Amino acid sequence: MNIVVCVKQVPEVTDAELEINREGTEILKEDLEFDINEWDNYAVEEAVLIKEAHGGKVTVVTLGDEDCEDVLRTALAMGADEAIRIDEQGFEFSDAAGIAQGLYHAVRDVPFDLLLTGAQGSDDGWAQVGLTLAELLGISYASLVVGVEIGEGTITVHRELESNTQEKVEMPLPAALTIQTGINNPRYVSIMGIQKVRRIEIKETGSKELGLSEAEIGSQGSSVASQKLSLPPVGEGAEILTGSLDEICEKTAQIIRDKGGVM
Amino acid sequence: MTPFRTSYWHIEPVWVFYLLAAVAVVVFLFGLFAHVSVWVRGIRRQTLPFSWRGISNLFLDGFLGRRIFKGDIAAGTMHLLILWGFLGLFVGTVLISVDYWVYHFLKGAFYIWYSAGLEILGLMLTAGLIWSLIRRYLQRVPRLERRFEDLAVVVFLLLVVLSGFAVEGLRLAAQRQEWARWSFVGHWLSLLWVHPQGALAAYPYLWWVHAFLSLGLIAFIPYCKLFHILAAPTSIYLENQPPQAIPVETRSPDDEVFSYRDMIFFDACTRCGRCVEVCPSTGAGEPFSPRDFIVWARENLLRKYHPLNYFTWLTRWANHRHTSEQGFDPQKIWHCTTCRACLDVCPVYVATQDAIRQARSKIIEEGIQVPSLLTQTLKNLYKYDNPWEATKKKRAQWSQDLEIPDFSETEEAEGLCYFVGCTTSMDIRAQKLARSFAWILKHVQIPFGTLGKREPCCGDIARRAGEDGLFEKQMEDCVELFDRYRIREVVTSSPHCFNTLQNEYPAFQALKPPEEQANFQVRHYTQLLRELVKVGSLWFENPLHVTVTYHDPCYLGRYNQVFDAPREVITAIPGVTLVEMAHNRANSLCCGGGGDRVWQENLDADVKMAEIRIREAEATGAEILITACPLCLIMLEDARKTTSLEHTLQVMDLNEFVQMALSLEHIPGEQSVRRR
Repeated sequence: MNIVVCVKQVPEVTDAELEINREGTEILKEDLEFDINEWDNYAVEEAVLIKEAHGGKVTVVTLGDEDCEDVLRTALAMGADEAIRIDEQGFEFSDAAGIAQGLYHAVRDVPFDLLLTGAQGSDDGWAQVGLTLAELLGISYASLVVGVEIGEGTITVHRELESNTQEKVEMPLPAALTIQTGINNPRYVSIMGIQKVRRIEIKETGSKELGLSEAEIGSQGSSVASQKLSLPPVGEGAEILTGSLDEICEKTAQIIRDKGGVM
Repeated sequence: MTPFRTSYWHIEPVWVFYLLAAVAVVVFLFGLFAHVSVWVRGIRRQTLPFSWRGISNLFLDGFLGRRIFKGDIAAGTMHLLILWGFLGLFVGTVLISVDYWVYHFLKGAFYIWYSAGLEILGLMLTAGLIWSLIRRYLQRVPRLERRFEDLAVVVFLLLVVLSGFAVEGLRLAAQRQEWARWSFVGHWLSLLWVHPQGALAAYPYLWWVHAFLSLGLIAFIPYCKLFHILAAPTSIYLENQPPQAIPVETRSPDDEVFSYRDMIFFDACTRCGRCVEVCPSTGAGEPFSPRDFIVWARENLLRKYHPLNYFTWLTRWANHRHTSEQGFDPQKIWHCTTCRACLDVCPVYVATQDAIRQARSKIIEEGIQVPSLLTQTLKNLYKYDNPWEATKKKRAQWSQDLEIPDFSETEEAEGLCYFVGCTTSMDIRAQKLARSFAWILKHVQIPFGTLGKREPCCGDIARRAGEDGLFEKQMEDCVELFDRYRIREVVTSSPHCFNTLQNEYPAFQALKPPEEQANFQVRHYTQLLRELVKVGSLWFENPLHVTVTYHDPCYLGRYNQVFDAPREVITAIPGVTLVEMAHNRANSLCCGGGGDRVWQENLDADVKMAEIRIREAEATGAEILITACPLCLIMLEDARKTTSLEHTLQVMDLNEFVQMALSLEHIPGEQSVRRR
């Protein structure tokens, strides 16, 4: 069972104080830390688990600058066998379709049975690339996957639906799945682990090598264009409670009760 | 007639005895070979120079049993009786061989003394063995296990020594020599035999029984806990060897995780259980004990590298037998707080906390079984250089309004570098101790600065987790930064940073060329405060009438022997009464935060370690519990709340306490004091 996993490097934003440049076109990235997109991390782990159980090869693909090699090294340390990096030059300001075009041209010649992506990226949050890619490849696909069972020439997947329900789908192979968080417990990648895979060569390619024209990718090839970025305005509703400790506690309890916090 | 001894009296054929002896020695040597073939698989990156200190330890801890006496005089005496009895009888037997083969000297007055001496040694051994049985099976000393091996070893030894006495009794009954009364036990036994002929008839049979048992014992030694006879002295001798650095780069995938010393330590363990008694994790009802870990590690290693693995069917059988036994669960190694209490009481210096760290490094490398919260912590450490999932920017926020020079914004640091540490920088409760320390330094007018938001993690957290690659990276970052700003003098808030800079770095630095090695001195703040008190810069004008107790942080006390400095600072404040908890100094009880436990899920325990500790503090009647570690501070502060002691007991860092004492206002005519 050969598996391709598309991964992405994203900035960590949980605790970061984001700043936007003066033109409102970009988020300032100097002080940000980068890591593999959380959903993609689960996708890589799932691919490696399937490989460990059924054999085969795992190839990871990313689209980005040289720094994004870190993400590929992380995936290799987790157990992937090969890595491809598509240089981001020409892909700036691409929408989901443009990114999917790049990935499509890079993976269409790689023989695979299963293609995994994260359900979405934690930065832009489009949740479109995996599905657009599957359409371009012309293979069946399922989104928000929380469980995979490998059959004979088919797979059965569990999809997460609303309010704690799941859908069980059987699909022919090859297939594309977008992986939801929580499907597994991604393993820890140690520095020792990364050092072990430092000799594995990462295949480099780019829009030119892939035969993509400017009209297909980048801002020209996009049907979505960003107008302006801004931080959300500070909302109202904050209230500073005053009084003695007991009074404050009493008031707090009352507010929680009023808002329906305690049933 | 001159007293003398006849060897092989009425024993025939003697060659059978030599054949049996040869078999016993071969079996013994094979067992020894099995252990040594494990030892040589351990990582060894150091030469072993001859050490006088090792020899003196060998004498004090081995021959005199210094560490066995510590805290348990009964056990010490019992062991000494057995050890000296056994060793003496062994030497006595060797003397017989010398007498028989080399030079006949067992005669005359010397022989009388020799005979009497051996009687005493035999009695000592017997008494020690019976005492050991009483302790284990009648007194049922809680720390002792009652495995089959424990009984077998003692009974075996007892059979050897009793059969020896019996043989002697028969011989003396048959010989009826005039000097026999000097062999007083044998003489007394011989009186039971009225007819010399009967004794002579029975004598050879019993002689062979005794010979068979004695040789069997020798053969049995490497296959049971008696192997400590060889491994414990080796372990004791190796104890004072410096720690060895094993950089990640130099490790190969086939390397064993444990060092050769760990493996020898494991073999030296007799499961005496002193570690179990002091382990805070075991004490809190957690499913971990240092002894279980050591036994598990030892059995695994022996099975893995046993010379008989050459026969695969035997390996399969052994593995099958082991899996059906249900040994120690490797996941339990995350319970260890690395508090070092077990090493402190271990008679043979088994450094469980080091072995645990190395076992963890294997799990970290595989990555699959790392506890999820720890995974998150390590990722944060890598990304943000702190375990608290906060950006680097926030590191200096505690000092925003304090106007502390940032050395990383100067060309060259002037004065003391205060290495604040991750937890002290980030945790709201712990930040107060940093503010107090900065206040004190300003109060005594000592020039100091910090590394601001560029201060990295010292690597302690990664090191405890076994993530050695990350530790080495952070160490290099730290050393590089100290070097860049010419920082020569460092003082830390945390005993953990202090220990890492002081004791973990040097072995790694020593691998580098001299000009690239780190060149700084580090102290814990308690040491600095003590010095300030001593030279008179820090003095307290007004009395503070309060009763306090002090909690020794493991990494300050047991790891670095800093017990007196904080106490001297506390007692330098007039009016303060310092009372001690049941566990104090080297015997201090861990708060449960060490070994990266702060950054892990609550593990299944009957009661939290910090709650056990805070109850001890409460029992002293003290109003304030003082500690000198940010982790202890957080853990104990939490425990104070969960045990509802908020109104009776305060938890303070020593810095906060000192600042409080310095801020007192003297009110004329009044005894009481209040805070400014």
